[in-house]
Amino acid sequence: MKVAYIFATQRHNVSYVLAKMILPQLEENRHGADVVGMFFFEDNNYVLVDGNPIGARLHKVAKDKGILLMGCDQCCYEREIADKLFPGVPIGCFPDLYKALSGNMPDQVITL
Amino acid sequence: MTAPCRKACCSATPRLTVSELVERGFRRNRAAPLPLQGDELSDAEGNTARFSLAIAAERIVDANFRVSSCATLIAYCEFIAELVPGARLNIVTALTAADLVESVPGVPALKRPRAVLALAAFRAALAKANERRTQTEVES
Repeated sequence: MKVAYIFATQRHNVSYVLAKMILPQLEENRHGADVVGMFFFEDNNYVLVDGNPIGARLHKVAKDKGILLMGCDQCCYEREIADKLFPGVPIGCFPDLYKALSGNMPDQVITL
Repeated sequence: MTAPCRKACCSATPRLTVSELVERGFRRNRAAPLPLQGDELSDAEGNTARFSLAIAAERIVDANFRVSSCATLIAYCEFIAELVPGARLNIVTALTAADLVESVPGVPALKRPRAVLALAAFRAALAKANERRTQTEVES
């Protein structure tokens, strides 16, 4: 099964659900689903800023497994980080996300 | 005297950050078009842009636009719309896409081509203004 994650809420999502569950499972090849993309809203985008330690692991695993990472453009502009993301990580909105996923569509989109 | 810094680091408003240009641009994007409308242009990604102008005595009095809901495109168009009021028609033609990219920092490289569409749409409206001026001169 192919899944895409949308990190829409803030609280404990990146530091806990992503960093302590999803990411280690992806690194250990035991996540149980093929992750094709991750899209980040609001403060969750800080994980995509070049140099972020969780983001560095995520960026590496995404490159190895061909996972699309994308930040919400308006969220990144609002935080002045749009041009500070890991190399090759784009920003965009829904049309960009759907277009980027169109070649590898997920079966499920999971909003966290 | 130097102009106040209008970046995110300072409190001088209105700020010229992408985020705040987008916020102001969203409102302008919904405003009624001004009397002189340029052609609607589009890019390869399906974004569209059209400027409208109010002109008096060879000067731009106001500028509005109607564009796709792309934040970067709105920011570039808003920058143009805030820059040009009061400018002479023949002077604003000197504005380039590179100027626009340089004036609105913080846009990642992948999104900078939106400046080309924004500027082309603005120039299309200027071309309409010049057409109308020539027509008026011929008639008089």
